[in-house]
Amino acid sequence: MPVGPRPPEVSVAGFEGPLDLLLELVEEKKLDIFTVRLGELADGYLERVRAMASLPADEVSAFLYIASRLVLLKARSLLPSIATATEEDELDTEEELRLRLIEYATTKGRAAALGDRMRAGERAFHREGGTVELPPKGGDPDALAAAWQKVLALTKRSEEEVEVPGERYSVEQRTAEIEALVAEQPSITFATLLGERPTLGYAIVTFIALLDLYRRLVIDITQDELFGEIRVERKVRRMEGLTE
Amino acid sequence: MTRSITAAAVEAVLFVAEKPVSRGELAKTVGANPKAVSEALAELEEWYRGTGLRLQHEGDDWQIVTAPEMAPFVATYLGADRLRLSAAALETLAVVAYRQPVTRAEVESIRGVNCDQTIYTLMSRRLIEELGRREAPGSPFEYGTTWEFLECFGLSSLDALPTVLSPEGVRSDDGVVVPDK
Repeated sequence: MPVGPRPPEVSVAGFEGPLDLLLELVEEKKLDIFTVRLGELADGYLERVRAMASLPADEVSAFLYIASRLVLLKARSLLPSIATATEEDELDTEEELRLRLIEYATTKGRAAALGDRMRAGERAFHREGGTVELPPKGGDPDALAAAWQKVLALTKRSEEEVEVPGERYSVEQRTAEIEALVAEQPSITFATLLGERPTLGYAIVTFIALLDLYRRLVIDITQDELFGEIRVERKVRRMEGLTE
Repeated sequence: MTRSITAAAVEAVLFVAEKPVSRGELAKTVGANPKAVSEALAELEEWYRGTGLRLQHEGDDWQIVTAPEMAPFVATYLGADRLRLSAAALETLAVVAYRQPVTRAEVESIRGVNCDQTIYTLMSRRLIEELGRREAPGSPFEYGTTWEFLECFGLSSLDALPTVLSPEGVRSDDGVVVPDK
């Protein structure tokens, strides 16, 4: 895979490249792409290239390559005698450059058509998966056991790290805390309530406190999708009458 | 007008499919021969005209997708972002879409500039992909468009690529062959 970080794209003075510049000269002068003597565009082309600010080296070479071919075509038309000397090299003929220009013009037209579709935003969507739940095929029971071992190892390690237990939470205290939080902000996530690395006791107390608040109609608990964030929300006002 | 049993069966299978289903697999699944499946697909295509759904296919792979005309509503519901591409990326995409399979050198020859960056952008957006290596000196990668490309541009298939008139009014969609360097 030849994909990797690349330097940012450099836009060259409003042109996508040497062929783009050449095409613009043809269009500016309202010339016919099929009959224009390309050598006649050499001066205008060079003028534009000179006017360009500093270009990256590989861009310059692409522009100069086309420039040199235009100058050669112009020279040939002025001095027909030099034509025979190089005409064997078919790549240097006017027709080849013209074909490239026409091909490029076509590409530009197609790109514009695609761009129109893109901007119109008329795209299709397919159905996203997740509605049909089937057990995964070819599951490896050993993998499950290995995963469980990892989980066990994790809990063992965190037990070792937490050497100062002694912390005690009461459900009443946690309930009051959450009630105060929810009074301040209309919505809070379960993850936020648990904090970064909750101890088992803290998680259980928080969870029971939430159940209690839910039972007393102080809060609403919502979850938009399976395994999504659980949101704890202050119960809307109209329900307050029911709590009495 | 009611759908044939085969068309109804094909529709039901495509409805639950989460990815494109080949005609062969459809035939096997619904117990019909490939020709009957083709007819069923044509029937469905006709049936969906003017509805919120349509059939999309690349080669022999088929899927039910939403109609591009309904994109604004679906995008709102899904919270989907608009696709944005630079003019340079669009040009490279146009070359790949209309002339695939195509190598990087061929794209660069047509555009007259280096296309590393735009090819990288299009690949990372999953609009084009490597199809494999060409049996040629240096065995360069060949690129083609993806299923996502059809979807993002609302094309029911590659046959639906817009036909473009060249500035002179000559239809040049068959492509002008650029001699190899």
